[in-house]
Amino acid sequence: MRRAWRGAVLPLALLAVWELASRTGMVDPRILPPIERVARTAIDQVVNQDLLGNLGASLLRDMIGFLLGTFAGLAVGTLLGLSRLADRLLMPSFNGLRQIAILAWIPLISMWFGVGEAAKVVFIMAAAFIPVVLNTHEGMRSASRQLVEVARTLTFTRWQVLTRLYLPSALPSIATGVHLALIYAWVASIGSEYFMAVGPGIGGLIIAGRERFEMDLVMLGILLLGLVGYLINRAASSFEARLLRWRTA
Amino acid sequence: MIRRRAVLAGLAGALSTPAVVRAADPVVIRFGFANVGVDNRQFSGGNAIAVGHAEHYFEKELADRPEVKIEFFFFKGAGPAVNEAFANGQLDFASQGDLPQVVARANGLKTRQLAAGGAHAPMYLAVSPNSDIRSVKDLKGRKVAIFRGTNNHLAAVKVLKANGLTERDFQGINMDEASTSAALATGNIDAAFGNFGLLLLREQGLAKIVYTTKGDNPAFERQATLIADDGFVAKHPDLTQKIVTALVKAALWASQEENREAFFEISARSGRPAAVYRADFADQPLKYRNSPLIDDYLIEQYRVQARQAKEYGLIRREVNVDGWFDPQFLKVSLKQLDLENYWTRYDASGKPAGKS
Amino acid sequence: MTRAAQALVAPPTRVLPTVPQAIVALLFPTALLVLWSASARYGWLPPQILPAPDEVLSALGDLAANGDLARDTGISLLRVVEGFAVGAVLGLLLGIAMGLSPTVEDYAKPLFTAFAQVPTLGWIPLLMLLVGIGEPLKILVIAKAAFVPVTLNTLAGVRAVPSAYSEVGAVFRFNRRQMLTKVVLPAAVPPIFTGLRYGLTHAWNALVAVELLASAEGLGYLLVWGRQMFWLDTMMGAMLVIGIVGFSLDRGMAAIEARLQRWRLA
Repeated sequence: MRRAWRGAVLPLALLAVWELASRTGMVDPRILPPIERVARTAIDQVVNQDLLGNLGASLLRDMIGFLLGTFAGLAVGTLLGLSRLADRLLMPSFNGLRQIAILAWIPLISMWFGVGEAAKVVFIMAAAFIPVVLNTHEGMRSASRQLVEVARTLTFTRWQVLTRLYLPSALPSIATGVHLALIYAWVASIGSEYFMAVGPGIGGLIIAGRERFEMDLVMLGILLLGLVGYLINRAASSFEARLLRWRTA
Repeated sequence: MIRRRAVLAGLAGALSTPAVVRAADPVVIRFGFANVGVDNRQFSGGNAIAVGHAEHYFEKELADRPEVKIEFFFFKGAGPAVNEAFANGQLDFASQGDLPQVVARANGLKTRQLAAGGAHAPMYLAVSPNSDIRSVKDLKGRKVAIFRGTNNHLAAVKVLKANGLTERDFQGINMDEASTSAALATGNIDAAFGNFGLLLLREQGLAKIVYTTKGDNPAFERQATLIADDGFVAKHPDLTQKIVTALVKAALWASQEENREAFFEISARSGRPAAVYRADFADQPLKYRNSPLIDDYLIEQYRVQARQAKEYGLIRREVNVDGWFDPQFLKVSLKQLDLENYWTRYDASGKPAGKS
Repeated sequence: MTRAAQALVAPPTRVLPTVPQAIVALLFPTALLVLWSASARYGWLPPQILPAPDEVLSALGDLAANGDLARDTGISLLRVVEGFAVGAVLGLLLGIAMGLSPTVEDYAKPLFTAFAQVPTLGWIPLLMLLVGIGEPLKILVIAKAAFVPVTLNTLAGVRAVPSAYSEVGAVFRFNRRQMLTKVVLPAAVPPIFTGLRYGLTHAWNALVAVELLASAEGLGYLLVWGRQMFWLDTMMGAMLVIGIVGFSLDRGMAAIEARLQRWRLA
């Protein structure tokens, strides 16, 4: 069998078993709806229930939180990376706070920001902030000794040191951090929809599906989650590759 | 000297004119409900405040103030979510139950009780249709859904206590109404404390009610009121008065027996059929449940709620209910509408008070 | 070169060199604690937003005194251990299988990748519908969270055996089994261990998630209870314990990893 086709065997077999079990009633069709029903729900959702609007709302929230968190993270990470004093003073506290599982912050953020979009965006910001700070800090810290020597001999200004030396040197780490931030921000936006007040979004759709016992809705939501997650990951990887293209070493 | 006076006079003049402008400044009144309809329908049911919203009593009362808008919010997270909103200055008024209000007050939230709205309400215990649980005592060691922080929670704790049990004697899972319905219907939990959602399940044949506080000790009743943010009331007493008057009008309509069926139909906009509300109000006059009065009985009930909430460890600090209730707006509305003697006032022990 | 620029490229000197790092690390948290206490004392922020720090401690103390803290922490830990064990074992098996056999990888990798794209949070409602809200739900969710990173890192580890090692094995004429046990697996231990570490972290996070959504006991459950009842002090106390346990779990793994490294270099 052609190698490329092998990968399709298991998923197809799974789908076949699913369809069989559902149609013959071996498994309660409420628990395992026939694939066709999921497809039909998908179409209904797009046409009648504003699925794209929900998706857009989730993504928008995600982007806003991601951007805010990433920029804040870059700023703080740079400060911690370049300033020994800031590093010694603040890094331990940051490391300590970051031990608390991110989802455990949700009730507190809810209390502090109330019942609106602000609370959700703050949570997503926090999720993006952490990996960016860590990786930027790491990247700045480990600027190659040789490059630092070169900068000294070239009498750069402070701004030039930052942009011509540290930033490019830290770019791989920063890119990793931003990649992680993209992933964490997406997961956080779903989390925010689960645990904070109701609003439009894919997470809300999944919760509604669970409450109404509509397994097809839940499955549709999961498919979308996976798809968007995959696309975000791919986009992040190719962006990262493009950013680092100029590096040879 | 004269110049200074002139300057001061000029300043005074400049500072006073904004008051005229202020009267026409747009105001948005944010009104929250500590519940939500089925499938997130933006409707409530079963009390006068819900009628006030559904039949636009509030908007009609505000019609002569075009710069004032009112927005309604329905919280799936019930009383606790309303508290989060109040704590962050995101709400001005709310229809909310006793326990979360007491909890908020224990935490220093500055609010004011304006009128009753869903007082003397029952609580239910539901189980799967073929469950072997027959009474509250059988709950020991089972999985029970209980929505913490709501007035159902406090009523449940009292009922448990009366049966010699505490929350620790079973596995209490915190769930909102929708999750509870789903979990009970699939047998993921053995029992649930609640109200309208459980009656709905019974209507659908998915659960049976094994206990209700209706007919049992009146001390188990749940209370709910129209509560407002202190700051808003102080800043806009005129608008506050309008809100209370609108509520009284809605309460009047909802207290007349000839409107009984219509009341249930309007409540059904929440997605729960009229039968649910009919069952909840069975054997009780509308006038009793939908009275907006802040009488000694209501205040005493809250005093008891506060004391027992502390006793059962639901709040950490003492809550003093003195100064919390502000019946002045209610008095004005009743006088304006000539309804001062329409509803019965009950004294602290629950007996009808003499004409006061 | 300006002084400011010089400072940025100066060789690293120790700032506050005479002060031990342990003290410096505590300066910021101490300052925050002071501000926090002052805020509670003078009412800068309302108590429902920020309870006094001693209230958080006393709330924790209460929980410890009546045994709730020990019970909930213990239950959470037990769930993590059980779920992690299941997920890690499955992940190791799949990772090794895929790593050693290109055939297995051809068949399994696409399905696995698709499965891994959906975050743990996404699986929870589905699993709730399938298995209810009891212990099996928690174990499954935690196992899934651990499974993915363990598989990926194990696969990478088994793959990345340096060719030098395989050559040595060839010189010794090792058979398949000997190659596996004497060369491949030992060489793959560090990346596998990294995977286990990530897996445990993900498992702990998944535990918090599932306890927030559907639980009758555990640390996440304490958080929910605190939120419903507006007990910010309990909530913060629970957060503190969650942080400490999460940290300890990771530290424990790091210590084991260090021990393994020592063996490796010897």
